[in-house]
Amino acid sequence: MNYSILLTALLPELFVVLSLFAALGVDYGLLRHHPLPTRSRIAASIACIGLVIGIAVIIGQMLWFAPRSLGQDQIVLTSLTLGAKALLFGLATVVCILSADQAPNTHVSEYYALILLSTLGAGFLVCTENLLLIFVALELVSLSLYALTAFNKSSRASAEAGLKYFTFGAVSSAFLLFGLSYFYGVVQTLNLHDATLAITSLEAIPPLLRVAILLILVGLGFKIAMAPFHFWVPDVYQSAPTPVAAWIASGSKVAGFFVLIKILQPVAITPSTKAIWMGGVALGAALSLLIGNLGALRQSNLKRLLAYSAVGHAGYMLIGVLSGTVEGMAAVIFYVVIYALANLGAFGVINLVSDRNGLTADIQDIAGCWKRSPLLALLTAVFFLSLAGIPPLAGFIGKFYLFFSAIEAQPTIAKWYEGAYWLVGLALLMSAVSLYYYLRVLKVSFVSDPAATPAPIRVTSAEWICLGLLALLLITSGLFPDPIIHFIRCSLVG
Amino acid sequence: MLPLFTVILSFVGALAVGLTPPERLRTIRWTALITALLGLITAAFATLQYHIADGGYQSVVSLPWVASLGIQFKSGVDGISLSLLLLTGLIAFCGVLFSWDIEHRANEFFAFFLALIGGVYGVFLSLDLVMLFVFYEIAIVPKYFLIAIWGSTRREYAAMKLVIYSFTSSSLIFFSLLALYFGAGLNTFDLTRLATEAHYSQTFQIVVFPIVFIGFAVLAGMWPFHTWAPTGHVAAPTAASMLLAGVVMKLGAYGCLRVAIGLLPLGAQHWAQWIAVIAVINILYGALIALVQSDFKFVIGYSSVSHMGFVLLGLATLNITGLNGAVLQMFSHGVIGALLFALVGGSIYRRTHTRQLADFDRLIDRMPTIAWLFIVAGLASMGMPGFSGFVAELHVLIGAWQQPLFPVWILVVAGLGIIVTFAYTLIKIHEAFFRRSVTANDPAHALPEKYPPLTCPETVALVVLIAAALGVGLYPKPLIELINSGLAPLVAALATGAVTP
Repeated sequence: MNYSILLTALLPELFVVLSLFAALGVDYGLLRHHPLPTRSRIAASIACIGLVIGIAVIIGQMLWFAPRSLGQDQIVLTSLTLGAKALLFGLATVVCILSADQAPNTHVSEYYALILLSTLGAGFLVCTENLLLIFVALELVSLSLYALTAFNKSSRASAEAGLKYFTFGAVSSAFLLFGLSYFYGVVQTLNLHDATLAITSLEAIPPLLRVAILLILVGLGFKIAMAPFHFWVPDVYQSAPTPVAAWIASGSKVAGFFVLIKILQPVAITPSTKAIWMGGVALGAALSLLIGNLGALRQSNLKRLLAYSAVGHAGYMLIGVLSGTVEGMAAVIFYVVIYALANLGAFGVINLVSDRNGLTADIQDIAGCWKRSPLLALLTAVFFLSLAGIPPLAGFIGKFYLFFSAIEAQPTIAKWYEGAYWLVGLALLMSAVSLYYYLRVLKVSFVSDPAATPAPIRVTSAEWICLGLLALLLITSGLFPDPIIHFIRCSLVG
Repeated sequence: MLPLFTVILSFVGALAVGLTPPERLRTIRWTALITALLGLITAAFATLQYHIADGGYQSVVSLPWVASLGIQFKSGVDGISLSLLLLTGLIAFCGVLFSWDIEHRANEFFAFFLALIGGVYGVFLSLDLVMLFVFYEIAIVPKYFLIAIWGSTRREYAAMKLVIYSFTSSSLIFFSLLALYFGAGLNTFDLTRLATEAHYSQTFQIVVFPIVFIGFAVLAGMWPFHTWAPTGHVAAPTAASMLLAGVVMKLGAYGCLRVAIGLLPLGAQHWAQWIAVIAVINILYGALIALVQSDFKFVIGYSSVSHMGFVLLGLATLNITGLNGAVLQMFSHGVIGALLFALVGGSIYRRTHTRQLADFDRLIDRMPTIAWLFIVAGLASMGMPGFSGFVAELHVLIGAWQQPLFPVWILVVAGLGIIVTFAYTLIKIHEAFFRRSVTANDPAHALPEKYPPLTCPETVALVVLIAAALGVGLYPKPLIELINSGLAPLVAALATGAVTP
C-alpha cells in the first residue's frame, strides 16, 4: 500500500486526531488550575478547529480528487461518502459549540475527546465497505457514546441511562457480530462489493443467509432505534447531557442508516434475497411508526418526546429502505440528513432553555419563549415544524421523497407485506398524529405565558450562528431541494 | 406574472409586519392594510387583464422546481381562480380593518394573518399539484396560532381540533397526489397536463376519487367531518373567523372542483349521487343545528356549514349551471359569511361582551345601525333576491333539477333546508334584536342605553362587504361569465367522458 495515498485520503481524520490530542494535552498540561468554564471553552475551540479544518480538507478532496477506494474497499471515497463525512464533522462541530458553555463534570477535555472519537468512528462508518471495519467503527462510535451518556457523574439518572445504553448496545453488537460472521460464512468475503457478486451468483438461498440477515437487522435495529428494539431510546435521550443526546440523535443516526443501507445492498438486488428481509423491515417500520408517534403523545419531557419521535422517524426512513431501489436509498439519505439537522437544532434549543438553567427539559421550560426570546421561539418553530414535515421546510420534501420512492418501487413488489401503499398510508396518518405533539411544544412556546420568574435565556453568539445556520439550511433545502437530491442521486449511481 | 404578486406581496408583508417591533401599532396596522389592499388591487387588475373570450389558463408562469421529482413551480389563472382571488383580496382587506383594535402581539397577529392569506392565494394560483399542496399546508399552521393565541371560547382545544382535521385530511390528499402521479405515468404533477393527457382508467378514478374528494371536502365543512368548523369559527378572533368562513372553507371546495372533479371526471360521475346526499344533509343538518343554538356565533358557524352544503350540491350536479352555482356560492358565502362573523364576533361582541342570545335585550334600540346592518346581512344569507346568495343558490338548484341522476327527494330536502334557513334567520334576528332579555331585570346584567357607534374601520369593511354581496346579486353577469369561462373545459371533459346512467 502506498502510504502517501493513504495519508492524503485520511488527512481530515488526521486533523481531528491531532485536535483530539491537542485538546487533551492543552487541558492537562496548561489549564489544570484554571476555572472549569475556561477549560471547557478552550477544549471546545480546539475540537472545533480540528473539525473545521477537517471539513475544509474534505471539501478540497471532493473538488480535486477522483472517487477512489483504498485497500479493497476498506475506505471508499466518493463524493457521497465525503459529503456525509463533512456533514458528520459539521454536526459534531455544532455539538461541541453547544457544550462549550457548560461542562458536565471536571473531566472537560475527555468529554470533547470522546465526541471527537465518536465522530471519527462515524466518519469511518460512512466511508467503508468492509464488514470488519464497519463493526470496528460502529463499536468506536458506540463505546464513546456509552461513556458520554454517563458523563454527568453527579446524576444518578445519567449513570443509569449509560448502563442501560451499554447493556442494550453490547447485546445488539453481539447480535450484529454474530450476524456478520454468518454472512461472511455465506459469501466468503469481507468486502461488500464482492459479497454482492457472491450473492447474485447463488443458485439457492442458504438458510444461513436468512439467519445472518435477521441477526444483522436486530443488531442494527438497536442502533437506529427501530421498534421493538427502541427501549433504550427514551431513557438515554432524557438522561444523557443534552448535547450528547443531540449527537446520538443526529450523528449516530446518520451513520446508522448509512450502514443499514450499505449492508442491505448485497441482498437488495434480486427479488428472492429481497424477500428475506422485507417482511421484517416492513414490520419494524410499522411498529416504529405506531410506537414512536403514539408514545410521543403522552410525553411531557421534551427530550423524551424527541426520543419517541426519533423512533417514529426511524419508521419513516425504513419505508425508504424497504423500497430497496437507488431512489429509495437517495430518499433515505436525504431524509436522515434533514432529520439530523432539525433534531440537532431542536436539542440545541432544549439545551439553551433547560440544561443551561439546570432544568430537566420539562415542556414548561420553554413556556413563553415568544416573550423571553422571540428569535429563539422562531428558530424552535422552524426545527419542530420541519420535524413535523410542514412545507416549505425541508422535512416536508424529505417525507415527500420517501413516500414517492416507496410507491415508485411498487411494481417490483409482489406479496402483501411488501406493498408500500399500506405503509405509506400508515405513515401519513402517523404524521398527522405527530403534528399534535410537535404543535404542543410550539403552543407552550408561542401561546403560554412565561412562568412568574422565568429562567433567563443566555445564548452565546457562536450558538446563535449555529442554530441560525441550521434553520437557514432547513429553509433553503426545503425551498430548493433539487441540487441536494440531484447530488445524492448522482453519487449513488456512481 | 401579475397574479403571482398577490402571493409575493402577502408573504413580504407578513415578513415586514413580523419584524416590526410590537409597540409600533400604527405602522403595523397600516402595513398590513396596505398589503391586503395591494393584494386586492392586484387581483382586480389580473381579472381585468384576463381575456374571457380566450378562456383557459392565462398569465402562466412555469419554472423548474424539483425536476428530479417531476415538481414544477407553475402558476396561472382562469375564471374560477380569479373569482376566488378577488374574494380572498376582499376578505383580507376587511379582515385587517376588523382587527384594527388588536394590540396584544399585534405584529405577530398580522404576520400570521398575511401568511395565511399568502397561502390561500397560492392555492388558487397553483397549476402543479404539489405546489398546490404546499400552499394548502402553509395555510394550516397560521390558523392554529391565530386561534390559539388571540381566540376566545376554548381556543386551544378548537385550534388543535381544526389543525388535526386539516392535517389528517391533507394526508389523504398527499396520498392521492402520489396515486395521481403514478397512475398517469407522465412523470409530472402538472395539473393541466394531468387533466388532458392522463386518461385514468375508470376503476382507478372510482377508487381514487373519494380519497381526493373527502381530503379536500373536510376543509369545506362536509358532514360528518364538519365539526371543526363551528368550534373553530367560534373560538377564532373576528378576522380569523372571517378568513375561515370566507376563504379557508373555499380552499377545500376549490380542491374538490379543481383536483377531484377536474382530474377524475368518471369518478365524479360515479359518486355524484352520494355527494348530493351528503350535501343536502349538510344543508338541512346545519340549518337545524343553527336553529337551536344559544350562542350567537355558533348560529353563524352552523349556518356556514349549511351554506357550504349548497357548494357541495352544486359540485355534485356536474353540469355547467350547477357548477357555476357552486363557484358563485363560494364567492357569495365568502362575502356574506365574513360579513356575519364581522358583525357578530366583531361589532356586536365588542360592545356587549357576550354572545349569549339570552342576554341580549332589544338591541335594536341600543345599537340600531348595527342591528339593521345585521338584518340586511341575515336576509342576504337567507337568500333574499337582490343579494349574491339568491343568484348562487338558484343556480345550484336549477343545476340539481337538470341532473337526471338525482332522485327528487334530494331536492325536497334541499328545499326543506331553505325553509329552515328562513326560520333560524328570522328567529335569531328576533332573539338578538327585538326580544326582551330572558335574564333581564338583573341589575348585574343591565345594558347601556346606547352602545358606541360603529368605528371608521368597521364601517368601511361592512360597507365594502355589503356592497360586494349586493353588487353580485344585482348584476351577476360579469362574474357568471368569468366563472363560465373557467368551467368550460371542465364541463367539456365531463361530457366526453360521460357514462350513461
